[in-house]
Amino acid sequence: MARDTSDLLHGTLDLLVLKALSWQPMHGFGLTKWIEERTRNELEIVDSALYKALHRLEDNGAISSEWGISDNNRRAKYYSITTRGKQLLRAEVATWKRYVAAVSGVIENA
Amino acid sequence: MRQFSSKLPAGIRHLFRLPPSRERLLHDMDEEMRIHVAMRAAELRAGGMSEADALVEAQRRFGCADDFYDHAKRRASQRARKHRVLEWLDEWQQDLRFATRQFRKNAAFTTLAVLTLALGIGANTAIFTVVHRLLLDPLPYRDGNRIVLLTVQDADGGPSPVSSGAVSVWRMRAHSFEMIAGVSVDGIAVQDRAEQDTIPAYITSNYLSVLGIRPVIGRNLTIADERGENGNVAMITYGLWQRVYGGRPSAIGERANAAEGKSYTIVGVTPPEMGIPMTFDQPRPDKLHEATPSIWVPASLDSIGAGGEVFGLLRPGVSAAQASAEMQSIVDSVRVSVAGGLVARPASCCARALRAQDLVEPREARAIEVLFVAVGVLLLIACANVANLLMSRAWARRREFAVRMALGAGRGRLARLVLTESLLLALAGGLLGIAIAWETLRVIIALRPPALANLADIHLESTVLLWSTGVSIATGILFGAGPALLAGARSIGDVLRNETRASSGDNFSRRMRSGLIVAEIALSLVLLVGAGLLVRSFVTLLDTPLGFDPHNLIAADILLPPPRIMPREEKPAVERAILERVRAIPGITDAAIGTMPGAPYHEFGSFETDVASDGQSRSVPTLGVVFMTPSYFRVTQMSLRQGRLPDSTRWQQPLSMTDPAAPPIEVVINQTLAHRLWPNGRALGATFGSTGRGRRRSFTIVGVVNDVRMPGTSGDQPTVYQMPLAIEVPLVARFHGSSRGLAETLRKTILATDSRTIPRAFTFGDDYVNDALAPTRFAMALLATFALVALVLSAVGLYGSISYSVGQRTREIGVRVALGADARAITGLVVGDGLRLAAAGALIGGIGATVATRTLTTMLYGVTASDPLTFAAIVVLVVGIALLAAYVPARRASRIDPTEALRAD
Repeated sequence: MARDTSDLLHGTLDLLVLKALSWQPMHGFGLTKWIEERTRNELEIVDSALYKALHRLEDNGAISSEWGISDNNRRAKYYSITTRGKQLLRAEVATWKRYVAAVSGVIENA
Repeated sequence: MRQFSSKLPAGIRHLFRLPPSRERLLHDMDEEMRIHVAMRAAELRAGGMSEADALVEAQRRFGCADDFYDHAKRRASQRARKHRVLEWLDEWQQDLRFATRQFRKNAAFTTLAVLTLALGIGANTAIFTVVHRLLLDPLPYRDGNRIVLLTVQDADGGPSPVSSGAVSVWRMRAHSFEMIAGVSVDGIAVQDRAEQDTIPAYITSNYLSVLGIRPVIGRNLTIADERGENGNVAMITYGLWQRVYGGRPSAIGERANAAEGKSYTIVGVTPPEMGIPMTFDQPRPDKLHEATPSIWVPASLDSIGAGGEVFGLLRPGVSAAQASAEMQSIVDSVRVSVAGGLVARPASCCARALRAQDLVEPREARAIEVLFVAVGVLLLIACANVANLLMSRAWARRREFAVRMALGAGRGRLARLVLTESLLLALAGGLLGIAIAWETLRVIIALRPPALANLADIHLESTVLLWSTGVSIATGILFGAGPALLAGARSIGDVLRNETRASSGDNFSRRMRSGLIVAEIALSLVLLVGAGLLVRSFVTLLDTPLGFDPHNLIAADILLPPPRIMPREEKPAVERAILERVRAIPGITDAAIGTMPGAPYHEFGSFETDVASDGQSRSVPTLGVVFMTPSYFRVTQMSLRQGRLPDSTRWQQPLSMTDPAAPPIEVVINQTLAHRLWPNGRALGATFGSTGRGRRRSFTIVGVVNDVRMPGTSGDQPTVYQMPLAIEVPLVARFHGSSRGLAETLRKTILATDSRTIPRAFTFGDDYVNDALAPTRFAMALLATFALVALVLSAVGLYGSISYSVGQRTREIGVRVALGADARAITGLVVGDGLRLAAAGALIGGIGATVATRTLTTMLYGVTASDPLTFAAIVVLVVGIALLAAYVPARRASRIDPTEALRAD
C-alpha cells in the first residue's frame, strides 16, 4: 500500500524530480505519473508536495518553467532542468548512493 | 510534441527582463493546481470512475488546498521582494556599465575631470594629514585627551606658580582626577660618563602612569623611591640608554654619575615618547647636544612644588571644566578655613586640557590652518569645474535623456544615472588623489617646517583615508547635484521640440554655469592674493637686511654650575678664559659673549626713564636684555649707530646689578627702544631704571645699535645690551672655512678650559635664519602652489565654458557673419562674455580677499594684509588669464563659416 510521504526526505523528492526532468521537460502532472510508474506506486506522493518541490527547485535556479501546450492540447506549465540543476542532480545522486550503501551495509551485516 | 505559447505578454516580459508581479505568480500557481486536478480527474474518468468521484479523488490526491495556497502566497511575496532588490542592483549595474562606457568614449573629458578632482582631493588629504597630526590629535599619549595641566592665575590674570599647598589639598580632596603628578627640570646639570651634558628632571613616581607609558626595561619609580628609601635611584631616557649604555639590559643597576658628587642607580629606562607635554622639545637633528632631561629622579609632589609643572589625569567622563570648578571650590574652602595661611590665594584655578597643538608654534599652527582652508577652497573650485563639465555634457546629452524618458525612465532613474556617473568620477579622482597626497606629503616633509621636524614618520593614516573617501563622496554628490537637477528638470516635450532649433542652452543651465565660473574665479583670486602676500613677505624678508650676518656664525650656550661647584668670584675668569681659548681655535676668526641676535633672551620687568629729554618720564613694560662683551657687535656684524661701546672694565664687577652704590650700568640700546623712549633722537647719555620694588637698577645709555629683523624672533623688541654678569655664558663666534666638526671642536675646547661647564645648544647662523623663515616659507610655497593650481583650474573651466557656448552659438554666429560681422567683432563678442564673467569673479574675489587675508596678518612681513600692489597685480593676472582662456575659443568662433554653420543641425 502507498505510504504517507510526509516523512519522505525533501532531498529524496528533489532527487526524483531532478532525475525525471533530466530525461525531458515535463509538466507537473506528467511528472507525477512518471514517478508513480517508476516507483511502481510504491511511493504515493501527495501531489501538492511535488509542486512545492518544483517551486523550491525553481526558486533555487535548478529548474526553470514555461507555459506550454500539453499532448492533449491543454495549457500546462512545463518544467525543464537547468545546468545548475544537472550539477545538483549529480551531487545528490552521489550522496544518495553513499547513504544507501551505508544503510544497506548496516542492515545486511548486522 | 510540446509547443511553446506564442502569446505576447510573457514573451515581452521576458524580453525586457521584467519580473512577474506577485499577482501574476499567484495566478500562475492557482492555474497550475487547477490544471493538475483536471488532468488527474480526466485520467481517473478514463479508468472508469464517475465524473463526481473522479473530481473528489483528484482533489484528495492533490492534498490540502488551503495549505497549498498558503505556500503559494508566501512564495509569491518572497519572489517579488527578492526581485525588487535584484532589479535595483541590476539597474545600478546597468548605470555603472553605461557610465564606464560613456567615460571611455569621452577620454578627454574623463581625464580632465578625474585629474581636476584628484588635485583637489589630493591636496586636501595631504593637508588634512598634517592638520590631523598636529592640530586635532590629543597629546601623543594613551589617554592624551584626559591629561590636563593644572594652572593657577593671580588676580591680574597672569600665570602664577602652583603652590605645593594647593597641590596637596587637590590631591587629598579632588575627585576629578585619577592621579596628580608633577615634574620639574632645574638648571643643575649632571654629566654622564660620555661627558655629555644631561639635565635631570624630578618626577613623581606616578608620572609615567599619567602619561600612560611603561618602562622599556627595568621598573617604574615607586613611592618608596620618592621617600629616598631605596637610596639614590633614577630612570634614564631611551636616548641616554642607547647613547651611553649601548642599549644594554645590564645598564639596570649601573650607576649614572652626576655632578655635585651625586650618582644614581639606574632602575629603569623610559620609552622614547617620555617627555614633558608643556615643554615637549624633542632633540632636533640640526642642533647638537640639545639639552633635554635625560635622568628622571624621583621626588615627592610636595618637593616639586612651585618650580615645576603639575599634571592631572582626569577620571573618565570628567571634563576639564568640571575639574577646574572643583579645584577652585577646594582652594576657596581652604582659604576660608585656614584664613589665608596655607594657600597663596590664587585668583582662579584651571585644569587646562592639552592638545598636540600646544606643542606647535603659533605661526606654524596658523600657517597650517590657512593651508587647510586653502585646500578646501581648491576642492570647491575643482568641484565647480567638474560640475560645469558635467552640466555641459548633460546639456549635450539632453536628447539621450529625452529619449530615455520617452521610453519610460523616471526622473529619479535619470538623476540616479547622473549621480552614479559623478560618484564614479569622484572615486576615481579620490584614488588618484591619494597618490597625489602621498607625493605632496613628501614635499611637505622636505620643506620641513620645524613643527613637522618631529613628525618625520608622518604618513597617510586610516582616519585620513576615511576623510578622503568622505570628501570624494561629498564632492560626487556636490558636483553631481547640478547635472542631476538639470537632467530631472527637463521635460521631454521641451527637448524634442527644441532639438531641431538648438540655441544657446536654456537659461537655468547657462546661469548656473556662469555662476560656477564666477565663483571659481573669485575663489582663485582669494587664494592668489593670499599667496601673493606671502610671496611678497618672503621676498621682503629675504631682501631686508637682517641687521647681522648669520653666515659663518655659530652660537652656543654654556651653563655654569651653581656656586657650590663654581664660586661666583671665579666665574668672570672662567668666562674670559673660555673666550680666549675659543678665539685661539684655528678657523675661528672672532668670538664674543652674547646670544644669536634676536634669539630669546632674559626679560626684565617694567622700566621707566628718569627724565626724558622732553621733560617727561616714559615707561617700557618689558625689556629684553642681551649680555655681551664689546666684541659682540663686531662678531655678529651689527652696527653701532650712535655713541660708543660699554666700558669693558666694568666686566669685572658682576655684582654691580644688586649693588645700589655702584655707578649706573653702561648699556647700548637698539633703535626700537631709542625711538620709543626718545623719539627726538637724544638717547645718548640718558638714564633709566627699573620700576621694581626695592633697589633700583640704573642704566646709562652710551650707544645705539641697529635692530635685528627676523620673523618670529624678538630682534626688533626693545632691547638692552650690557656687559655680562657671568651667570651663564652665551657664546657667538665667527669662523671661516668649513663648519664641519666645528661644534665638536668648540665643545671640547670649552670643556678643556673648565670641565665643570656645560656647553650645549650649538646653532649655526644659517640654520637659525632658515628655521626662523621656515613657517613663512612653508606656508608660502604650499599656498602659492595651491593658488596656481586653482588659477589653472579656473582658466580651464572658463575656457571649457566659453568653448562650449561658442559651440552652442555656432548658428547664431553664422547668422551674424552672414549679416556682415567681421572676425574682430565676433572675437570681441566672445571675449566680452569671458571678460564679464572674469570681472564679476574678480570683483567678488577682491571683496572676499580683503576679509580673508586678515587671517594672514601674523605671517606677513613688510606688507599689510590689504597691500594694494598685490591686489592689483593679482586682479590683472586673473583677468589676463581669463581673457587668454576666452580668446582661444573666440578665435575659433571668428573663423566660423556661415554657410556651414547654417547648414548644421
